[in-house]
Amino acid sequence: MNKDIKLSGAEEQLQALLLSHGNKEAAAQFAANGLPTRRIEAYHYTDLKSLLREVPSALAVANDGASAKRSNFDGVARIEIVNGQLAGDFDVEGVSVATSGNTGTGDDSVVLLSEALVGDVVEIKISGELDQVLHIDRIIDGDAAINADKVSVTLEDGAKATLVETYNGSDAAHLRLATTEVVLGEGAEFSHFQLDGNSSATRHFANNRYELNADAQLSTFVQQSEPQVSRTTVSASFVGGGAHADFAGLNMLSGTQHGDITVHLRHLVADTTSTEVFKNIVNGRGKAVFQGKIDVAQPAQKTDAQMMCQGLILSERGEVLVKPELEIFADDVLCAHGATCGELDENSMFYLMSRGIPRTEAKAMLIRAFLAEVFEPVDVEAVVHVLEARVDSWLQEQEEA
Amino acid sequence: MTTPILEIKNLHVKVEEEDKEILKGVNLTLPAGEVHAIMGRNGSGKSTLSYVLAGKDGYEVTEGQILFHGEDLLEMDAHERAAAGLFLAFQYPIEIPGVATMTFLKAALNAQRKSRGEEELKIPVFMKMVKDAAAKLEIKQEMLKRPLNVGFSGGEKKRAEILQMALMQPSLCVLDETDSGLDIDALKIVSEGVNHLRSENRSMLVITHYQRLLNHIVPDRVHVFSDGRIVESGDRDLALELESKGYAGFDNHAA
Ligand SMILES: Nc1ncnc2c1ncn2[C@@H]1O[C@H](COP(=O)(O)OP(=O)(O)O)[C@@H](O)[C@H]1O
Ligand SMILES: [Mg+2]
Repeated sequence: MNKDIKLSGAEEQLQALLLSHGNKEAAAQFAANGLPTRRIEAYHYTDLKSLLREVPSALAVANDGASAKRSNFDGVARIEIVNGQLAGDFDVEGVSVATSGNTGTGDDSVVLLSEALVGDVVEIKISGELDQVLHIDRIIDGDAAINADKVSVTLEDGAKATLVETYNGSDAAHLRLATTEVVLGEGAEFSHFQLDGNSSATRHFANNRYELNADAQLSTFVQQSEPQVSRTTVSASFVGGGAHADFAGLNMLSGTQHGDITVHLRHLVADTTSTEVFKNIVNGRGKAVFQGKIDVAQPAQKTDAQMMCQGLILSERGEVLVKPELEIFADDVLCAHGATCGELDENSMFYLMSRGIPRTEAKAMLIRAFLAEVFEPVDVEAVVHVLEARVDSWLQEQEEA
Repeated sequence: MTTPILEIKNLHVKVEEEDKEILKGVNLTLPAGEVHAIMGRNGSGKSTLSYVLAGKDGYEVTEGQILFHGEDLLEMDAHERAAAGLFLAFQYPIEIPGVATMTFLKAALNAQRKSRGEEELKIPVFMKMVKDAAAKLEIKQEMLKRPLNVGFSGGEKKRAEILQMALMQPSLCVLDETDSGLDIDALKIVSEGVNHLRSENRSMLVITHYQRLLNHIVPDRVHVFSDGRIVESGDRDLALELESKGYAGFDNHAA
């Protein structure tokens, strides 16, 4: 540890907050490292020391959330977590919801903050096959605040569920620290969506961790399009043979937005498979980051891991930064990564326009076509509607900008 | 005298940001109801002419004029030209993954209708239009379910171009080497599709490399294209003459 690090104003404030939250150990650990800079490999393109120059001074306090924007879907079972406090219960057979204190910690400063500042963990246990989609609306209401919340999902062996999480809140410059942990029991099946309804001034940090036991099937989707700064880390450990996961996500950024999706997969045992499909669209001076790391441990023979990341750059100053990393210690594996990045294809534009389709509409068609692959597997109608509507309104905003 | 559908006057075109001139003074008048063929060897500038007519970016007109129904064509954007009745059947139709063929057809037809101030097509009407037109060109419904031109064979792409042309009912059809990549049977089907569209209000500019196509689509006039301009014009016998003499026999002619 480097004891001499000079803390920025924001870092001092975060340290003070940890102390006042009664967590001396975390405060000392944070003070030793500060916020991650580009010198830390996992934050190579997302230097938080410079991206987080100002942070809210206080934690979000209990609030009825009455004034916050919400997401509502028909026919789903819904709970809310407002400023870290659980509200409501799932009235679905096979699902129990409880809260407990948090004991988590972490080396990474963002994980450390997220864990240390969490109040109650919302624990969800799922058994059997659910006949309803679960929805958790994670809301930050009131004045600009730091909010840490944590959801921990356990799927018993053979359980089957779909969880849609939405991030919502009041229109203030919040710092969100969201943690989601999911353990999939043997043969469990889980679909997980995270939809972005943050305010544009929010700085959003989500840490998603998955553990897959034998024959578990997971599919995940992350959308990042609203906050000034957002970073979602997805980490998954494949600990049982026959487990399979599909990870997907989208950065859709404009203005001076910065969006980072960082994925770290650990194939630890034989016969596990994964796919990754991530798409990035940037306009203006938007900056999208995708980092994908795949570790294949020595015993993890027959691992098949396919990673794909594509970028569509709509402006001269937009950036898509991609970093794949493979660390393979087994010899009989299939691992591949592909990254493509480009502008809208001129010949395709001309073809559509030569058929009478105006430029704006042709552009929109090609952008939707670019996204088709990542939306195609989304099988929850409500989610499809939200995503399509957001793409439509986003395209509209770009025209007006 | 009625206004010709297309008049090209002393058209000079170069590639933007390059000095290379590709079209070097093209003159052509295409009256309503006529079919003209343009024949020329590879690289003579035929596709460039078709792109400039359709409004592709990247070319600069340095001299000359194009009138479409008497209006300045070069003032219009590509999509406006289409709505005004110009259609280019591409030599190499573009594959667009992620755009369903039917979605594309509906968007294109409705965009053209909208710009002419017409109502959008009702879905059942649209479906029937496409189904009937596709049947005439022996295009299977299954093909229409695929993304636009993706995984189509060369012949299927050309048939899909003619399908679009039949649906859009343009007043000027520019066909750029529609015969290339077609076997004899497909050539017959496509030619019948084109011939079916011949009418007194519609003109066609049929660009080809071989005279073979002109046995099926019989032109009113034939123009020989060489090094960026028309060097000789005549009736359809000129195509036969070209076939026997070869293009070399026409080099260095003046129009
Ligand atoms: N965008 C371009 N940039 C540079 N050269 C071009 C471009 N388009 C066409 N050309 C050149 O112009 C000439 C004519 O090409 P083209 O119009 O395709 O001929 P054709 O269709 O008769 O075979 C060729 O030498 C070709 O290489
Ligand atoms: Mg050509």
